[in-house]
Amino acid sequence: MSVKDPITGGSGIGFDFSNHARNQHLGARMGGLPKATSTGTTIVGVKFGGGDSGVEEGVCLGADTRATGGPIVADKNCEKIHYIADHIRCCGAGTAADTEFVTNLISSNIELHALSTGRKPQVVTAMTMLKQYLFQYQGHVGAYLVIGGVDNTGSHLFTVAAHGSTDKLPYVTMGSGSMAAMAVFESSFKEHMTRQEAIDLVARAIRSGVFNDLGSGSNVDVCIIKKDKTEMLRNYEMPNERGEKTRQYKFRRGTTAWTKEDVRSLVVSETTTPVAAPLAAEAMDIS
Amino acid sequence: MGSPMEMNGGSVIAMTGKDCVAIASDLRLGQQAVGLSADFEKVFPINNQLYVGLPGFATDTYTLREHLRFRVNMYRMKEEREITPKTFAHLLSSTLYEKRFGPYFIEPVIAGIPAPSAIDPDPKPFICNMDTIGCITTPKDFVVAGTATDKLYGVAEGLWEPDLEPEDLFETISQTLLAAVDRDCISGWGAVVHVITKDKIITRHLKGRMD
Amino acid sequence: MTECSFGITGKDFVLLASDQSAGRSIIKMKSDENKIRQLSPSLCMAYGGEPGDTENFVDFVERNLRLYQIRHNIELAPAPASAYIRRILAEAIRSRRPYVVSLLLGGYDKIKDESHLYWMDPYGTKVKVPYTANGLGIYVALSTMDKYWYPDITREEAGQLLKRCIDEVKLRLAYQFSFNAVEIDKDGVREYKLDGSA
Repeated sequence: MSVKDPITGGSGIGFDFSNHARNQHLGARMGGLPKATSTGTTIVGVKFGGGDSGVEEGVCLGADTRATGGPIVADKNCEKIHYIADHIRCCGAGTAADTEFVTNLISSNIELHALSTGRKPQVVTAMTMLKQYLFQYQGHVGAYLVIGGVDNTGSHLFTVAAHGSTDKLPYVTMGSGSMAAMAVFESSFKEHMTRQEAIDLVARAIRSGVFNDLGSGSNVDVCIIKKDKTEMLRNYEMPNERGEKTRQYKFRRGTTAWTKEDVRSLVVSETTTPVAAPLAAEAMDIS
Repeated sequence: MGSPMEMNGGSVIAMTGKDCVAIASDLRLGQQAVGLSADFEKVFPINNQLYVGLPGFATDTYTLREHLRFRVNMYRMKEEREITPKTFAHLLSSTLYEKRFGPYFIEPVIAGIPAPSAIDPDPKPFICNMDTIGCITTPKDFVVAGTATDKLYGVAEGLWEPDLEPEDLFETISQTLLAAVDRDCISGWGAVVHVITKDKIITRHLKGRMD
Repeated sequence: MTECSFGITGKDFVLLASDQSAGRSIIKMKSDENKIRQLSPSLCMAYGGEPGDTENFVDFVERNLRLYQIRHNIELAPAPASAYIRRILAEAIRSRRPYVVSLLLGGYDKIKDESHLYWMDPYGTKVKVPYTANGLGIYVALSTMDKYWYPDITREEAGQLLKRCIDEVKLRLAYQFSFNAVEIDKDGVREYKLDGSA
């Protein structure tokens, strides 16, 4: 789009504030604008292996799969472990759209960075990009993240809060279920765990969020990142499967009364009339 | 006074079936409690096998529809092909997120069947919905939006079942919508249902309560 | 806002009526103000809202539609005119100083031989309707219109319906209005005599 549309705006890069004046006006008139949809969430990460244990070091991330809009469950099986690079993943909590777009943006920039430097990007680089972007927006971009990965300097685990502050810890939790999950970590975390111990601990922490925090629920997603292998264990545990319906709830055809019908057929029908074959004398000269 | 989302009223629902999808909406447009029109469509065709529902603030329904028509026409001319439901969903999502700090008061619902291609010869029916700032959710069963959202979730959760044939899907989505909007003061006043299959689109205007 | 207007379509005509009061709050300064403007040969607008905004807005629309007619030697049909007017409102609401104007737009499409009636608010909500009211009229007259309007309504019946609506306003509203009206059809716009009082 070359011409800037006065209403729909948007030819440029970044956010467009063309509706802002109107929405302020509406807010003043109608008493308070609706709150953006937020996600209650439990997301966690732990480091495992390394040291003298002989276990290959790595990072294990976990997330629940419930997306909420106010008190309503908007999605029962969403994906909260986002791709940043092959060896870096990021769990998102907070405003769902913000976590989605901010991780996509950083993923793109990391890819470009890898291409321009010719090196495998480091986890700190992704973390720094995220914190600088989020700090710029002073917490208005509501993304609360757990970022983990393994690069040539070892395994790394960080949290990034919406205002741009970061932590570097061996085990972390975020989201509305962070206290429930942290309780599990605080009681059971030990250094240099095996891969399976880490997975079990992470799954237990997420389950603790799923069952004790109302904003978290449904299934457990787990992601294990090691030096040369990233495993995404989608729906690693499904402790809340819905029971089979024992009856069918179909309506008899013709139940719904309607007044007007319009059927648009997408099948192009044509009738072919064979034309008599051309006489031999009239055949095209193709010599 | 209420928020822009509850100013005009209206609801949309979409469901998947066996090789088909359906999208339905009510037809009311009001100014708070006063009903002004029983013929205000909120679901629009994007191409032969893709529909979008734009319930919420009616002026934004119109503005966004105009804008999407422009963007999809530009896409069609530049790419010389029809936009797929998934691509369209991301186009709309980005359009909404661009206005993160001054949003449109619309919660879109998308329903469509992608045309078969070399990469995907047997495409699955596609449905999704978004919040006002473009966060996509893509469940496998149904999506809802609008002022009767809570009721639609409840009824759809009970009535939906997998692999419904187009005619059965029509009954299920119609009964779900009618039951939900009957419990919403600012939705209703008639309804329209589109059932999209691989070779045809059936559009039916339903007989509903007019109170 | 103390204002009140009505629009009724039939197969080949549109009736637009508006109150004639001008003033502020509960004070009436004038009771013979014309608040229906002819925008082009077969298009009229009954408007209400913030007093200064309305005049400016209607002048702007009228002159731009006139410009279109001079440039293209054909008047803009009601449907595209409604889209144009909606867009002015929708752009203005996004500016520092919006037009606080609501309106009924009635017109006759000579090419398609159709009557058109649109309801619009200051946010840019536009809806095509067979009959409608604006201002205080929506609270007292819509039900009367629901009862008596039908698709093949004749001019006489539409006139009677309009009279019923105005009577309803007189009966139910504390505020006293006087009304004027126009009739739009294939021959253009004419003043519509509201017999008796008004």
